[in-house]
Amino acid sequence: MVDKTEVVKAMARFLRQPVEKLHDDDVLTDLVAESFVLVELVIQLQEEFGVRFGQQELQGVRTVGDLTELIASVARK
Amino acid sequence: MAEPALPENELWLLSFYRTSEISGALFFGRLARSLSGPIQHDMTKHFADESLHSWYWTSCIYKLGAEPLKLADAYQDQYVSVAGLPANLMEVLALTQVFERRVINQYALHSRVPNLKVEVAETLERIMPDEKWHIEWVGKALKQMEPDYGAENVKAALTRYTDADREVYRKTMAEHEDRVKDLMSPKRR
Repeated sequence: MVDKTEVVKAMARFLRQPVEKLHDDDVLTDLVAESFVLVELVIQLQEEFGVRFGQQELQGVRTVGDLTELIASVARK
Repeated sequence: MAEPALPENELWLLSFYRTSEISGALFFGRLARSLSGPIQHDMTKHFADESLHSWYWTSCIYKLGAEPLKLADAYQDQYVSVAGLPANLMEVLALTQVFERRVINQYALHSRVPNLKVEVAETLERIMPDEKWHIEWVGKALKQMEPDYGAENVKAALTRYTDADREVYRKTMAEHEDRVKDLMSPKRR
């Protein structure tokens, strides 16, 4: 079971931002300018929370909330 | 007017290689820093290689009396717009495998350019063994990932990025057709 708050905290650490500045509706590509840094974030979160997903699942992910929900839902399976 | 030290098309191509190696180094450096486990060792070596290669190209361009051009995008950056973001480590390695094959083919092609400058030939010779090793270690890592990720998913990712590479290569060649034709021309001096 993954706590969504912990996922957001991990994202904030990666982005070097205070966690209170991250919101569910923040668009990931606005937070991370380079696409390959976004890849690194996604991989690091999968490693940290012991989950794995592929490109198909990632396709619908646009925001911080989307990514948090994806990680939590994959962890539930 | 004196001829430029390095013809414009050649300077562009060598700068293109340099940019691509720098992008690879930056990406693998970030991943090597954050990943743990058995892959960390080879990925760190890969990062170091790409970084050195970018230095070799920089040094080569300077030896030829020019300065590298500042190019915005690297070749591999275009994969994302064609095939989407790789979502996990296996997909990153699949993309890398396809890209490294393209690199080695391109460097092999370049090494056959008529009247190749000694500095360029030496740089290609220095880089090629590393590029072969990149394909080797990534291939082995992908094989080892099959039980975890599923052999069919590994195969699908390789196919997806191979298709993307064909598209990116076609676009790149179409965009820079004149430069490439000029470089490959037997009449060049």
